[in-house]
Amino acid sequence: MANHGVNIGPFWKDGPSAGSFYNFPGNSTNQSANDYGKQASTGPITTGTSIVAVKYDRGVIIAGDMLVSYGSLARYHNVDRVFQINENIILGITGDYADFQFIKQVIDETILADFSMDDKIAMKPKDLYTWLTRVLYNRRSRFNPLWLDMVVGGMQYDEPFLGHINFRGRAYTSDVISTGFGTHLALPILRERSEKGTMSEADAQEVVKKSMEVLFYRDCRGYPRYSQANINDQGCTVTKHDVQQNWDVAYLIKGY
Amino acid sequence: MMQNFIEMIQMSILAYNGGCVIAMTGKDCVAIATDHRFGIQAQTIATNFEKVFPVGKHMYLGLAGLQTDILTVFKRLEFRKNLYEIRENRTMQPERYASMLSKFLYEHRFGPYFIEPVIAGLDPKDFKPFICSMDLIGCPNQPKDFVVVGTCEEQLYGMCETLWRENLEPDDLFETISQAMLNAFDRDAISGWGATVYIIEKDKVTE
Amino acid sequence: MIGVNQFPEYKVPGAVQHQFNPYENNGGSIVAIAGDDFAVIGADTRLSAGYNIFSRDHSKLFTMTSKAVLASCGNWGDSDTLSSFLKYKVQQYADAHENREISLNALAQLMSTMMYGRRFFPYYVSNILAGTYEGKGYVYSYDPIGHCERHTYRAGGSSAALLQPILDNQIGLKNMEQKPNVPLTVDRAVDLVTDAFISAAERDIYTGDGVNISIITNNGVENRRVQLRKD
Repeated sequence: MANHGVNIGPFWKDGPSAGSFYNFPGNSTNQSANDYGKQASTGPITTGTSIVAVKYDRGVIIAGDMLVSYGSLARYHNVDRVFQINENIILGITGDYADFQFIKQVIDETILADFSMDDKIAMKPKDLYTWLTRVLYNRRSRFNPLWLDMVVGGMQYDEPFLGHINFRGRAYTSDVISTGFGTHLALPILRERSEKGTMSEADAQEVVKKSMEVLFYRDCRGYPRYSQANINDQGCTVTKHDVQQNWDVAYLIKGY
Repeated sequence: MMQNFIEMIQMSILAYNGGCVIAMTGKDCVAIATDHRFGIQAQTIATNFEKVFPVGKHMYLGLAGLQTDILTVFKRLEFRKNLYEIRENRTMQPERYASMLSKFLYEHRFGPYFIEPVIAGLDPKDFKPFICSMDLIGCPNQPKDFVVVGTCEEQLYGMCETLWRENLEPDDLFETISQAMLNAFDRDAISGWGATVYIIEKDKVTE
Repeated sequence: MIGVNQFPEYKVPGAVQHQFNPYENNGGSIVAIAGDDFAVIGADTRLSAGYNIFSRDHSKLFTMTSKAVLASCGNWGDSDTLSSFLKYKVQQYADAHENREISLNALAQLMSTMMYGRRFFPYYVSNILAGTYEGKGYVYSYDPIGHCERHTYRAGGSSAALLQPILDNQIGLKNMEQKPNVPLTVDRAVDLVTDAFISAAERDIYTGDGVNISIITNNGVENRRVQLRKD
């Protein structure tokens, strides 16, 4: 304070005090320190919505649409939210995209270091999964969370692996995983199929396609274009898909 | 802000005086049980406060919650029931009593009596067992097995869920309801200090 | 969460403010029973938060040594961290003591100390440690900040209030007039844990899907699984 404890108040409402600068509204950032201490981030800002992931007999599929939102604004289009990390690992993220970009940079450096060993031993999905769990847990314990819901998939030697970590460090593995709105919309579809028995690659493709379709129609932060990473003993591919839209039925819906 | 904090740590008014009531069905009989404690939060004031009242030949009403409201609701319900019985010149069956109570409680939807009632009885005509519980604004719940209300509700659910069996004879029903209540309120600081069980049969009521 | 927001008059320059809630309740229930020469410990396999079920097959049991099993539920992130940390300490002990296993009572005290170390930012967990020590069955239970107590039987987690009186009655033989004077067998303990969980799953939405049961005898640890209702 410029007035050294003598507060004579501003010249007008929200205006500058004598000897002070005008305090522009909205110029405070998430990480700014103020008189009362430091305020850590309390929520996601630029966000990606649901991720859908399934394990099938010899591999894993992770899919997510290609929109990054800023609140209700569809801010960035055609942005990837699922990635191949190395020959064994694929990753999908929901939540704050900036936090993701930060952690992705760290992951890529780690993968580069691992690759540079040139020992023909590449990191496995379980390694990344446990490591990310520690990172997210430690960040939340420092009250500065990385606001992410991360889905790690891949081949753990010959076995498919699929795990989920949230921003509080809650981690678990499962045959089917979905984040965000997908927990309500896609997970019932995935579970219904999964409880019938092990899926083939084609079954998995089909159920993911159906889930992405439902998510696009009902999630307001959804997007018709999605990317899908598929990893199995034959290798890994990341492909782009479009939801086959059909709005014919829309004309029949009246009353709400 | 301070108010939020006070609300957060304050005990529910329903748990101000403590106490619990349960009812169970058996083979051609029903049982209802109450604890005896009356307290003000952690302080025990009396150990002879029974929360179950006879409201008919084969019908009992149990009320858990705020003591002052227990007495008030019981009296006002007696009034309404008497009025019904004089006007209709017949005894009230448990179903009617339950719906009367439900409507009475909902009349006070936005300023409720802080009680949770239990009704146990046999139908005056065919002696069919009837049990029912409600929340404080009169939402009725009529399962076929048992109903529990009061501060040790969770403990009672655990006990009843393991001990209750279908078609219990009166003696076995007594043993079941007693064990359920005793072991449940032993894990609750503000219920207990003895219990009373009523076994309602076609031709007799055993206290 | 209780914070400075509830006490604006105590706002002090320099104090760090937190809006973010680091805890989530992932539910789950745990039960343990100690017999003369064995211990039985069970935990349900549901991982949930609010009305979401994340996993129906998620073990909350951690085999620490051949004579000690930990059950932990509450905030899963904390359970995960605490159990891994404890496993690390068990290994560290082995390395420093010619590969000997840490004893159950030493492990019990160690965990109490570790949990109290986080007194002002507690692990939000309900823990029960069960096992055998010098051939006898033991059960230790904990509160979130490390209070440790020995019992013959204990329930913890979201269904603790439902399960504990059942154990009081059936194991503690409370409120019984003629007490059956037969020692507890492994089979009876396992049946009781199973039945208690079936009851809890009826009324508690955070408990269900399945139960993992570990039986710790002088021959080691045996694991079993029982299905529960999935709704």
